[in-house]
Amino acid sequence: MQQFSVHKIGPEINIGGIDLSFTNASLFMVISASIILLFLFIGTKEKKIVPGKIQLIAEMFYTFVAKMISDTAGSKAKPYFPFIFSLFMFVLFCNMVGMLPYSFTVTSHIIVTLILALFIFIAVTIIGFAKHGFKYLSIFVPSGVPAVLLPLITVIEIISYLSRPVSLSVRLFANMMAGHTMLKVFGGFVISLGLLGGWLPLSFSVALTGLEILVAFLQAYVFAILTCIYLNDALNLHH
Amino acid sequence: MKLYLNFFIAFFAIQGYLYAAEAGMPQLDPKYWASQGFWLILIFTILYFSISKFYLPKIKNNLDDRENRIKDDIEDANKSKELSESKLKEYQKILEDAKKEVIKIQLESKAKSDKDINEKKEKIEKEIEKELVQAQKDIAELKKNSISDINNISKEIVANIIENLSGDKLNESSIKAAVEEISKKNVGKYL
Repeated sequence: MQQFSVHKIGPEINIGGIDLSFTNASLFMVISASIILLFLFIGTKEKKIVPGKIQLIAEMFYTFVAKMISDTAGSKAKPYFPFIFSLFMFVLFCNMVGMLPYSFTVTSHIIVTLILALFIFIAVTIIGFAKHGFKYLSIFVPSGVPAVLLPLITVIEIISYLSRPVSLSVRLFANMMAGHTMLKVFGGFVISLGLLGGWLPLSFSVALTGLEILVAFLQAYVFAILTCIYLNDALNLHH
Repeated sequence: MKLYLNFFIAFFAIQGYLYAAEAGMPQLDPKYWASQGFWLILIFTILYFSISKFYLPKIKNNLDDRENRIKDDIEDANKSKELSESKLKEYQKILEDAKKEVIKIQLESKAKSDKDINEKKEKIEKEIEKELVQAQKDIAELKKNSISDINNISKEIVANIIENLSGDKLNESSIKAAVEEISKKNVGKYL
């Protein structure tokens, strides 16, 4: 579990008794963000009518996220496009950078995903109340439900709404941690079973690496699309 | 039995790994939570602003430009198509007109040449007739001349023959009369 441990890099930064030191987690956040910015810089450097490779990929990301938002949340969600794009890119690149050997997976830490999820949850709630006022509470009372079931359904709806940040953050965190732990376990088997028996876990390790790359993309996608769905609930109030 | 033992050992090994994983989950150690949260918020904010202020508008502009360019190109292509279609129609019209003209010219020239030929034919026929008449006239004259020539020649030949046979000269006028009489009698045989 050494791969998940956080340790300080450089001097200790202590503001108001809180330890805000630069750590390896911060370093890999910086690396992921720098890769995104570098990639976008190269992708937008030349404004070609017929795009080059990097430009094409950047534009593909753009249209991919734009399509995702317009499909799930409609045209009202357009002002939030930059945020969802940044979120998707950040999670995706943190996951992908985490796939490199000896690197650190930022998103495998519950605190990181929880902060992201809580921010989304609070922002969506504020947007909902700002757009609809107290009518936003009607999200907890689905229409067309028999009166007998209504109290129960409402309670379930409230619980499910409040558990959104938890499910959103735990999903990403658990997926990343489980994947990396599994890779580590199989990697350990390769060593412990040696030359004779190590080939089977090694092949598993190779297959799992492919799977993990898929998961890395998929979890970023799921994180972004769930954000879109929550936004949709807040923007278009019909349950 | 040995196989089962192996399985047992493998099972405990996996268990050991998993417990080790659970025992030391650094994610649940709150020591660096504040630091991670601080740096996450800082870095994500920077990322968000640079993406939303610089890169997304650039990409959007480029995509819009391309879409406009494609639209313009399609419009241009449609215009060119229409133009070429109208040109084609014009061309076909010209072609048809030319065909009509050709037929007309053909007919005209045929009529003209027919007339020409007829005229020339008539003229030539007339000339031929004239020539014919002249030739007949010439022949008739030649005949007449030739008779007198023949008479003269025969008269000389006869005079010579007689002179050679008998030795003396006969009266020329009597020979002439005799030859003319004979030729008059026999002229129908030779002409």
